[in-house]
Amino acid sequence: MLEVRNLSKSFGGLTVAKDISLNIKLGERRVILGPNGAGKTTLFNLLVGELTPTSGDILIDGKSVMRLSVNERARHGLSRSYQKNNLFENLTVRENLMLAAAAGQDKTTWMMKDCFNDPAVHEIVADVAERVALADIIDKPVRSATYGNRRQLEVGLALATKPRILLMDEPTSGVGPAMIDGFHQLLQSLPRDLTIGIIEHDLDLAFDIADRITVLNFGEVVFEGTPAETRGDSTVRDIYLGDWQINA
Amino acid sequence: MFHQTHTRCIVFAISMLGLALYVILGGFFAGEIVVKIAVLAIIAISIDVVAGFGGMVSLCHGAIMGLSAYTYGVLTVKFGVPALPASIAAIGVAATFGTMIGWVTGRTSGIFFIMATLAFGQMAYTLIFKSRWLGGDDGMGGLPRFDASDFGLDMNNTVTFAFYAIAGIVVCYAAAGCVLRSAFGRTLAGIHTNEARMKAFGVNTILHRARAMGFSSLLSGVAGIIAAQHTQYISPELLFWTVSGEALIVVILGGLGTLTGPVIGAMAFVLLKHQISSLTDYWHIVIGLLLILIVVSGGRGLFGQYEHWRSTHTQKTAKTNYA
Amino acid sequence: MDAGFWVLQFLNALQFSMLLFLLSIGLTVIFGLLHFVNLAHGALYMMGAYIAVSTANQTGSYWAAFVLAPLGVTLVGAILYFMLIDRLRTANPMNQVLVTFGLIFVFLDLVRITWGDIALGLEVPPSLEGSSYLLGVHYPTYRLFIIFVGTMVMACLWLVLARTQIGAMIRASVENGAMASAVGINVSRLFFGAFCVGCALAGLAGVIAAPIFSATTGMGISILIPALVVVVIGGLGSLEGAIVGSLIVGFIETIGAVIFPSVAAVSSYLLLAAILILRPKGLIPARG
Repeated sequence: MLEVRNLSKSFGGLTVAKDISLNIKLGERRVILGPNGAGKTTLFNLLVGELTPTSGDILIDGKSVMRLSVNERARHGLSRSYQKNNLFENLTVRENLMLAAAAGQDKTTWMMKDCFNDPAVHEIVADVAERVALADIIDKPVRSATYGNRRQLEVGLALATKPRILLMDEPTSGVGPAMIDGFHQLLQSLPRDLTIGIIEHDLDLAFDIADRITVLNFGEVVFEGTPAETRGDSTVRDIYLGDWQINA
Repeated sequence: MFHQTHTRCIVFAISMLGLALYVILGGFFAGEIVVKIAVLAIIAISIDVVAGFGGMVSLCHGAIMGLSAYTYGVLTVKFGVPALPASIAAIGVAATFGTMIGWVTGRTSGIFFIMATLAFGQMAYTLIFKSRWLGGDDGMGGLPRFDASDFGLDMNNTVTFAFYAIAGIVVCYAAAGCVLRSAFGRTLAGIHTNEARMKAFGVNTILHRARAMGFSSLLSGVAGIIAAQHTQYISPELLFWTVSGEALIVVILGGLGTLTGPVIGAMAFVLLKHQISSLTDYWHIVIGLLLILIVVSGGRGLFGQYEHWRSTHTQKTAKTNYA
Repeated sequence: MDAGFWVLQFLNALQFSMLLFLLSIGLTVIFGLLHFVNLAHGALYMMGAYIAVSTANQTGSYWAAFVLAPLGVTLVGAILYFMLIDRLRTANPMNQVLVTFGLIFVFLDLVRITWGDIALGLEVPPSLEGSSYLLGVHYPTYRLFIIFVGTMVMACLWLVLARTQIGAMIRASVENGAMASAVGINVSRLFFGAFCVGCALAGLAGVIAAPIFSATTGMGISILIPALVVVVIGGLGSLEGAIVGSLIVGFIETIGAVIFPSVAAVSSYLLLAAILILRPKGLIPARG
């Protein structure tokens, strides 16, 4: 579904991504692990088109998307949530979701009709709000929402465009255990034909949800495999020295 | 995000009624003033659509209005095209030019956008000013008004023409409101708030911005027709940067991002200009200082300030009721 | 058209480029440091020309005007800075633009009130009258002087920015103001200093231009727009960008007017459009 071939990115003398290759199959849950500065967010930025690679190729459904802009790739079904909340602060939760849903439905150019009244858009918004547990504050302004709620909305926005490939950048960063559980449930509820890539720091969560894991370090892929294989690999363990105990 | 409130509707309705009354009671002079207000109000509305809701502060809308007026003049005077088709073509030319400017500047942000619109507006002025065929500095006269005798209306009558201009404000206001409340307008507001995210949703923000400029230029084009038909004479001065500048000041004076504010601003501006001009020749220093004063003291403008006062006032009464 | 003709056009273009450079460098550095677009910059240039005329009338000397006009404009700029601009540094960009735009109107009438509506001329100083023989042509000495001043300013600015400590501090502050402040650079004093230098350059441009263009109320905007085009083409905040931009615009306007007179009027705007589409950040932006 989403294939990356020898992707590299350098800023002058600084190489932030080196010859990254991976292949995420349709419906797969791929977790990207790696210490801070490993280049995980950079990889996502390259995938969505916010960063132009120095070399390499990115393919969706077998077709190269290298020449496509951010919005064109999004229309091919790519969606992403950000590590730092990137919301519409002065609007309500509902309005935030409406914008995403309308864009996903390609209903942004009507000049006579209000997309906020469209039944299809309404349905998506209600569904997503339910999934990310924001239904009870849906008409509150984002400004007044807690950090945790904002994190939920952050993921909600990425979902509301009804993507085929969803990339989530540390979706649970900074939230408490209750919310991590909620996120876990959200993932279970997502359709199996949705391909998902997640950058995670919470290793327990990562091992729990992943079909496969890719580990990055210093901009390179240092390991790829199933959760079990990842746990057993010595290179990976060296990187995360002391960060986790092997759950026997 | 655009919300049409009761207050805005009521204030707008009262303003229009006020203008109508003024025309009926005030005779020729009042008619002239009201048409001036109408032209300015429509340009201000068009600027508010892109600046207040799209974050695109433009200094070329006066030039666009002038371009529409000149197209109308050229078609009717030089080519004998009847008034109505000429108007439609002129408005189309304005919309096209605006869309092109919007597309060219679509990749740029606030400051660049303002500078670019200033430059392109002056470019239009220079081209027309230098053109001997268009009359150059002397301009072009003999522009016709609509022939509405089929409806029993005499467009040469001051009162009739003033009412026609007022109708123009109402139509443009309604059109702007409709578009701002549509999917297009919502998306535009979204782009203004967080362009990167909108792109990530799949929206072609450059094209969207270009279309917004196109629609807003269409409205300015309407103002151009009214202006051309009013004096039945056009000159390059219509495209000079001060026209765009004054229109922008009108929007700030009335209240950016309220749609009703620009209308109030236009009324206040024309009446103020009239008062000040009878006292002194130095009108520019007054509006310059006025603009600075408004921006430095919060920038809400007359109507914007009124709305703010009302919302804080109702909050206060709500609190006391609770107590 | 012989070689002599082209040398003349070349010199004319160079002279116009220098004028544009003096104005746009102030604009671009102020933006680079303060993130502030001072639309009233053209008005300061206009003030420079008018102050020069008055000074020359009072003292009978062009050179007195040459020194005092930039100083006068710097004084006006400093007053403006403390009254308004310092307060606006943290305001949102639109407010900054609106206020400086309001200032254009204010200066327009201030000049009209003080000096009237008629264009005022300034005499070329006796030492620079007449023509010089250069590169096979006779060229007005005064215009050569303009080219000389412009080149000197370019060289000085380049030296200061590239070779001195202040220059390094300025470049650091343009690159990353917060970091520069964190390492102890007094950023706000630096900004004030740079702002004053920008104003002085605008005033200098005014006194230099006055003998050629005369002091008029329209000169502020008529130079502001090409200067804005220069700054957008060259890239906001960079010295190299201002140099390249002013040369490009200067040559297009001057030589274009000779070769394609009908297109020349819009040629720099077409270039502006091209840059906005292809390289929105300008040819040599200060930040990568």
